[in-house]
Amino acid sequence: MVSQPIEALLVLRRPRPIAVRRLRPGDVAFRGLAWLCGIFAIGAALFLLAFLAHAGIRGLIHAGPQLLTGLRWKPEAGAFGGVPLLVGTVTSALGATVLGALPATLAAVWVTELAPKGAQKLFRRAMEIATALPSVVYGWLALEHLVPEVDGVAKLFFAMRPDVGGEGLLTSAILLAVMIAPTVTLLSLDAIGRVPPAMREASAALGATKLQTAFRVIVPHAKSGLVIATFFGFARAAGETMAVQMVIGGARQLPETLFSPTTTISTQIVMDMQNARPGTPESDVLYAMALVLLVFSSAVVLTTKAVARRGIA
Amino acid sequence: MTALRKPGRRGIERLLVVALAAVALALLSGYLVTLLHLVLRGGKHLVAFSPDPVPLAGSEGERGMRMALAAMIFAALTWASLSLTRPLVARFAPAWESMSRVRLAIVALVALASALTLSDHLPPFLISLPSETQAGGGIGPQLFNTVYLAVLSTVVTFPIGLGTAIYLARLSRSRWLLRSARVALDTLASLPSIVYGLFGFLVFVVKMQAGYSLFAGACVLALLNLPLVVGIVEESLRNVPREIEEASHALGATRTQTILRVTLPYAWPGIVSAMVLSVGRVFAESAPLIMTAGTTIARANAYSLDPMRGGETLAVHLWYVGSAGLAPDRAEISAGTAAALVVLVLLTNLLAARIAEKRGKPGKRLRAAVR
Repeated sequence: MVSQPIEALLVLRRPRPIAVRRLRPGDVAFRGLAWLCGIFAIGAALFLLAFLAHAGIRGLIHAGPQLLTGLRWKPEAGAFGGVPLLVGTVTSALGATVLGALPATLAAVWVTELAPKGAQKLFRRAMEIATALPSVVYGWLALEHLVPEVDGVAKLFFAMRPDVGGEGLLTSAILLAVMIAPTVTLLSLDAIGRVPPAMREASAALGATKLQTAFRVIVPHAKSGLVIATFFGFARAAGETMAVQMVIGGARQLPETLFSPTTTISTQIVMDMQNARPGTPESDVLYAMALVLLVFSSAVVLTTKAVARRGIA
Repeated sequence: MTALRKPGRRGIERLLVVALAAVALALLSGYLVTLLHLVLRGGKHLVAFSPDPVPLAGSEGERGMRMALAAMIFAALTWASLSLTRPLVARFAPAWESMSRVRLAIVALVALASALTLSDHLPPFLISLPSETQAGGGIGPQLFNTVYLAVLSTVVTFPIGLGTAIYLARLSRSRWLLRSARVALDTLASLPSIVYGLFGFLVFVVKMQAGYSLFAGACVLALLNLPLVVGIVEESLRNVPREIEEASHALGATRTQTILRVTLPYAWPGIVSAMVLSVGRVFAESAPLIMTAGTTIARANAYSLDPMRGGETLAVHLWYVGSAGLAPDRAEISAGTAAALVVLVLLTNLLAARIAEKRGKPGKRLRAAVR
């Protein structure tokens, strides 16, 4: 407020700016183009959500509360009980997080704090490639090497049951753990990298060993980042589709044992979309299920992102 | 002090460090061994050049596709071996270092020669049609579709992603718009890929009546890659030092001129590596493509450039053969397909990393001007 008259005076005295201020048609067009692109990004997100919500809400109305409480999923008979799908998604993702996130975090701590200097670059490069590998490649590898192993173990425990085998909950959890570990490692490396070096030096100056520094100073300081990395891994595991589809067995039921075949939301969507004609209630219910998955995973990711922004600021 | 009083503590600590190292090294070596296994297991199908000419299957454009593939493979090999041996040769003949035109000409010559002579002797696995029930199927159309889809989706992602990133990083005045664009991109980035598949199926395949088509697949993948591309490009635009932009303004350049001639060239390595990474994601994606581009290969138009035809990519093919294939040699086909996928993904990743390393270093023109 106070500075405004002075500003005005300056503008009066100053010779008219030549290049920057004048509105050139080229500048306006360029800005307009870039603006259009930005608007397109917003519009695309809205459009996508609107379409999914439109079909999904129709499905929700058709299926009713059984979508979240019913135990029987059989679209061809009009039974849309989503509990087996939800349970399969959450348990396999949870199992993957339990199996995969801890080694990944520990590896990140070792690489940044205790390893020889050149190790971090190699480690990062390897993990980047591991995250970029197609999920079907992981699925195929699991089908080839993991399923027979798990099958052998399963036969040890449940020799009498025909439905127990290599394809099932445990195999998917192990596979998902292998798939999310690189993601968690990379994000953890970033989180630890953000710890100011002064913390490390102060701890060393107090006489702490490298291990003490790592676990009493660095890990507590990067805690929120490490938790966020784990949550991202969880969200990725919950949304994974094709790899899980290849090894989970595709039985539309609640798993009775760790080795029983079951299903997940994304797997079931891929399988049932091939039979459902678009516009029919069966197809709409799949969109409703996708909506559930979307709300679930977006909630996880957006909350962790919000927490992360606050944590840094 | 405590360490002195309790002598056992040191040993435990060392043990813990060793255990940590074991976990980390197990993780690292696990992935490296997996990669090596994948490449070695199926690699023989990718390098088994055939002494006899491979017969044509009679698809439209098949010969052109073979020539292009031969040219690409041998150009890449020549280029790689030239850049690997460059420091060595330059030690004996220092002029070699600056003869980049000559090296380019050699690469072009090799590409042309191999396209003309070797195109019928490529590994049969890479150029023949897949077979549903008989042994000996190949991945020619899948390879073509994968690359073509990457081109199609990049054509959409590149301008829109670049424009959005420029707007977000440099041009936006309204804070509201900035924030909502960021929320929109965060939301897009957080969606599982299967959701993109459902959206693409509903909008492009059903509502726009495009059917299962490469067009639908490319649109969905472009949307899927938008948050990634905008994120990396925006970051590299923001990393452009303000001083050089201000210097450009001081010389009388307009805002547009500054962005196009100063900011973008400076951020170019970041932009290119974003595009390369997004291409890598196109290679790897399968779930959305099953629902938009379909899982079939038609014999007649297997190599056609028409974007309205359907077609499966390498990743989709691996899923299909691995989980539901009927051919007797499906294990070998899967191994070969997986190896091809891994090689493509490795190439894109290493390329992106190599380009990103150039970030912030002076380019060719500046080096020439300073010298």
